[in-house]
Amino acid sequence: MGFLRRVWRLISANGGIYSWLTLIAILALYPLLTPSGAALLTATQLFMLITVSSNWNLIGGMTGYVDFGHAVFFGIGAYLMGILVTVVPDYILFSPQLGFWQALPLAGLGAMVFALLIGVPTLRLKGPYFSIAMLGTFVAMREIIRLLKPFTGGGEGLDLPPVLNRTRDYYFMLIFMGVVVALMWWIRRSEFGHSLLAIREDEVGAEMRGIDTTRHKIIAFMIAAFFTGVAGAFWAFQNTYIDPDVVFIEQRTVEMVMSSMLGGLGTVWGPPLGAFILYMLQDLVWANFYNLHLFILGVLLIFIVLFVPEGIIGTLGDRSSTSLGRLLSRGFNRGERTMEERA
Amino acid sequence: MELLLQALFNGILLGGYYAVMVLGFSIIWGVMGVINLAHGEFLMIGAYGAWVLFRVFGIDPFLSLAIIMPVMFGVGYVLQRVLINRVVERPHLISLLVTFGLSIALANLFNVIFTADPRTVPVSYNGSFNILGMTVPIVKTMILGLALLIMFALHVFLQRTRLGRSIRAAAQNKNAARIVGVEVGRVYAITFGIAIALTAAAGAMISPVAPIFPFMGPPFTLKAFTITALGGLGRIPGALLGGMVLGLVETLLATFVPGVGTNVGIAASFVLLVLVLILRPQGLLQGLRPMEVE
Repeated sequence: MGFLRRVWRLISANGGIYSWLTLIAILALYPLLTPSGAALLTATQLFMLITVSSNWNLIGGMTGYVDFGHAVFFGIGAYLMGILVTVVPDYILFSPQLGFWQALPLAGLGAMVFALLIGVPTLRLKGPYFSIAMLGTFVAMREIIRLLKPFTGGGEGLDLPPVLNRTRDYYFMLIFMGVVVALMWWIRRSEFGHSLLAIREDEVGAEMRGIDTTRHKIIAFMIAAFFTGVAGAFWAFQNTYIDPDVVFIEQRTVEMVMSSMLGGLGTVWGPPLGAFILYMLQDLVWANFYNLHLFILGVLLIFIVLFVPEGIIGTLGDRSSTSLGRLLSRGFNRGERTMEERA
Repeated sequence: MELLLQALFNGILLGGYYAVMVLGFSIIWGVMGVINLAHGEFLMIGAYGAWVLFRVFGIDPFLSLAIIMPVMFGVGYVLQRVLINRVVERPHLISLLVTFGLSIALANLFNVIFTADPRTVPVSYNGSFNILGMTVPIVKTMILGLALLIMFALHVFLQRTRLGRSIRAAAQNKNAARIVGVEVGRVYAITFGIAIALTAAAGAMISPVAPIFPFMGPPFTLKAFTITALGGLGRIPGALLGGMVLGLVETLLATFVPGVGTNVGIAASFVLLVLVLILRPQGLLQGLRPMEVE
């Protein structure tokens, strides 16, 4: 009996990741039905939203440092891709077609280095400075890209070599999403992930227990930036055109925040579920009230934060997130302020 | 030399405006511990208020403050009672997310109502005159005068009136204030109302010299944060110092670095912010702390 129970515990504990891999395998069969290019593109975009939301959740949900400018890494990735395949001479890249694969990890690395540069001053501090500094980073980066005209084309943007292949895009994004979410699952259960949760719950306490909080926060931030940068680079190539106003849009960050909040902040399966629901919801809102859709998103965000702060997964009773729920719904008396004073 | 003097003068004009622009943000953070990410959006609402009053009734933007400020005080009061009061005592994470949602909702609502076309308020006296070889823009000088007046009035209000003392008491120690008979809930609502009225007033003031559009807010929120980081929370001298530093840096950069254009302000503000956070996270004066240590 004891053995059976242990087997059951193993299956139920790992059930999520097995279901996830099965889902990826099923989705991999979809292009065999010869769907239209538009359907493949829609699916690819949903996968991308799931990927970037999971990354946002790593820093925003698991570590508890809300990033209001995470789309900046998407933008940096997109621009590094654009610069690498257009401005940089051929001898660095193999060819426009193969250069794409070469530029993807480079764009991610660029975003990661930028995350390090931003993270060192802002994540050293406890409290809300990081959140607002990231909002600032986002707003400033759009203008900086405009100012760096020789590289970025300024407001006119950059045209990338059009290499359209929707099936390739679909498979790339599917595998990328599968790997990133599986990695989040692994991080959530690793010692590193537990340290991140400890930082979220009680940063000073985590420090007392010997966790190097600054290092952990910066590493989590860099991981999140890397994958978001790769996603941005991929998007730039798929879109074949970038300029500051299509790359640096607030909506991207809003969608990441919304997906994670809707599904369950700090959970592994929250962002994928939230992103899926948000995508369906946006479709509905888009079809009926195109102009108002961001207004509706903003109001919805306020309602979720106030009334279901744990999101769908958290509310349905995933044990792992209840402590966060308590933290969010408990009215503790300016606990954060005293932390700030110690900082 | 003349160029330098002119740049310094323009920087002071801009700095005075920044100082009055940041007050609402700084008061809400200092008194309630809430960081209002919708700060720039309330400024945008004030600017649109001035534009509507100018277009429909022909009211001068500076006179329209008499209408905009009471109305926005009411808006702020109600908003605090309905929404912000629910998040005041919760972690920063919650109030950040709520005000972020509010900023997105407001900017896009105004985008639907007024479209994204930039609007201007063309006042007849918008020009400049020369003194000692320096160009003095009339409207911007009026803004500086009004900014100093508002800061002085706010200072007197906070220091000398009973309500002002209640606000400072609630900021310093909420529980102690409650014990000595301050209705903290009401004081918070009034404080939020005052802060929103000041922010909207800043928006109305700048309407003759800046384009008004629904997404003008976020750069102001960023600048407000930079100034607060430079000058400290809830302090009027700090706001003045922080505003002047940012205004001067921005103007000097725009004057002496070729080819950066008008968008340099946002980038400069961002670089300043990162520098402050690296070098002096506690700010130039007392820094990012509550008004008084609890």
